[in-house]
Amino acid sequence: MTFGGAELICQLLVGISRSMILFIVCAGLSFVLGVLRVPNIAHGSLYMIGAFATFSITKMFAGSTGFWIALILAPLLVALVSLIAERALFQHLYQREHLMLLLFTFAISLILGDLVKIVWGAEYKSVSAPALLKGSISLLGASFPRYNLFLILIGPLVAIALWLFTIKTKIGKISRAAAVDREMVGVLGINVSWVFAIAFVIGCYLAGVGGALVAPTVSITLGMDHTLIIEAFLIVIIGGLGNMWGALVGSLIFGITHSFGVLFWPQFAIVFPYIAVVIVLLLRPKGLLKSVW
Amino acid sequence: MRKGIVRKVLILSVSFLALLLLLQPVHVNAQRTIKVGILDTYSGPPAVYGNDALNGFKLALNEINKKGVLGAKIEFTTRDDKFKVDIGLSMAKELVMMEKVDLLVGTINSAVSLAVSDYVKGEKIPFIVWISKSEKITGEKGHRYVFCTSENTYMAGKAGGVALSKKPYVKYWIAGDDYEYGHAIADAAWRNLKALKPKVELIGQSWWKVGEPDLIPYITAITSAKPDAVIFATGGASMTNALKAIKSTGMSERIPIWIHTATDHAVLKPLGKEAPEGVMGTMDYHFYHPDTPANRAFVKAFQDAYGNPPGFPAFHAYVTAHLIAKSFIKAGAIDREKFIKAMEGMKVDSPVGEVEMRACDHQAVLPMFLGVTKKVPQYDFIISTDIVTVPGKEIMPTCEEIKKVRGKS
Repeated sequence: MTFGGAELICQLLVGISRSMILFIVCAGLSFVLGVLRVPNIAHGSLYMIGAFATFSITKMFAGSTGFWIALILAPLLVALVSLIAERALFQHLYQREHLMLLLFTFAISLILGDLVKIVWGAEYKSVSAPALLKGSISLLGASFPRYNLFLILIGPLVAIALWLFTIKTKIGKISRAAAVDREMVGVLGINVSWVFAIAFVIGCYLAGVGGALVAPTVSITLGMDHTLIIEAFLIVIIGGLGNMWGALVGSLIFGITHSFGVLFWPQFAIVFPYIAVVIVLLLRPKGLLKSVW
Repeated sequence: MRKGIVRKVLILSVSFLALLLLLQPVHVNAQRTIKVGILDTYSGPPAVYGNDALNGFKLALNEINKKGVLGAKIEFTTRDDKFKVDIGLSMAKELVMMEKVDLLVGTINSAVSLAVSDYVKGEKIPFIVWISKSEKITGEKGHRYVFCTSENTYMAGKAGGVALSKKPYVKYWIAGDDYEYGHAIADAAWRNLKALKPKVELIGQSWWKVGEPDLIPYITAITSAKPDAVIFATGGASMTNALKAIKSTGMSERIPIWIHTATDHAVLKPLGKEAPEGVMGTMDYHFYHPDTPANRAFVKAFQDAYGNPPGFPAFHAYVTAHLIAKSFIKAGAIDREKFIKAMEGMKVDSPVGEVEMRACDHQAVLPMFLGVTKKVPQYDFIISTDIVTVPGKEIMPTCEEIKKVRGKS
């Protein structure tokens, strides 16, 4: 089978657009991993809550404005949920070993999953894209969904915002310092507890943004958390733990190998991203970019 | 002194408990209840179907238990198989050994159904499959103890294959969920299409993992290959994803598509007006079709009880409950072997007309509804229109074919 340039570009862009959602979610996961050293399995559940909340908020408002409002409110709701979880539970557990934290966050993910079922029920939910982003455009003769184009634009914006936050703001700088040496930060008289809370909430907020952004492209169902969290952990590992740019590179590798796998070898497309992961880990066991761990 | 008080309290409470036991009402000579063990998925994305089936079953039991069966009632116990074969199998064993059920029903997952079917064969316990659609259940892997009250991939595939063979398309692409159901439905449709129209050509296939969230890369890749038509073999949440991707890429306007259960209300309703139009789909049950008094009465009773119209699992579960009740009445006793004898060839009235449990393979004879997705003014979701009813007899394998495939395994 032969493909023209248009199809290749189209497929590349489709891969990148999927990578952008992965990146936003993984940047949050990686941030929490880097600053708090918490492998947060419940991150996927927060992403799912973001998607379900987007559904409800979109429903509340008529017309296309609903989705835009949801895009702002749903991640904030997720941030609120995570703030409660952090203050009530997580803050007492940072000193525990990683295995304990893994089990703990896994338990939280099961609880959140059931809460979602209680609040929203088991039926499939669907959010439609706002009118502006509905349908597809013709791109060099191939058709390309407008919404995916929007995702390609939003991804870099989030990356830049997050980068500026860690570089320019005081809290960002403290977070970075805490990631490297938290005792030292504490010694300097900074309230580490609140720095951690803020870092945690920011990470979870990004999961909410990812959930809100993915809502119009998929059916919103229970179990979407588990599908995502496995991919997200792989991406964070190949990118380098706690490294935001690593999350970006990892997401792009994951998304693009997948979409090209689908094009060239559709029966076996599922395995391509995982093969890429294996290769990266064989060559660079600590991840592509510098890990903060 | 203290010891004495403890002793007194102990004696008092023991005698109180003994009194309670004596006061227990004793059932003298009452027929024992019939216990049905329901094994299905009540968590994760398939829960929507599991719950729907359970509601259909409950609705039927309310009707049945008013009159009773053999002077007793039918009760049920449920277990969640979590859509996993190992859990499903251990839950089935638990229902049989701990709950001592008279028969098992359930499962949406074909792989679970096949595993449980294998287990009940050895234990000699009847098992009625009500949602799973693999044709192996009553085909190649069928046996005395397994029944199926849902339509299967053979029937759906043949209905689709026959419909597609009448269309002018030659170059086909097959895409679907990479699990038992996806492959079974695709094989059946393709086998029948190829038999009826030998010049059709399969130019490629795509298989994605179950629950794959983003199908757009697949859809754009398939569109690039420019097939004349596409057969999608997907279901449940993946179906919603597929329809969304088909709509957002504009695929349905360029390439004709056939998907079994694309016209399923559980899939189309959440999409509202956003579902693609013009997709060909086959379906085993619609609450709005056929528009007969029997179907209207069933839909109304279900809607009153559970607040939403019944989906296809509710329909199958409803039929299953009535089959169970009628068969026990015919058997005249709570006896598994007599029950099986009575089930064979049993006919019950259903919302879509009379349904027969075929004796030779234990497969329910059910019609298929072939339609096209379309917007209509009276609903705020897309429905199946121009529905053609294909009678079950025309799309089922013959008893001779069943004998042949079973002889092979």
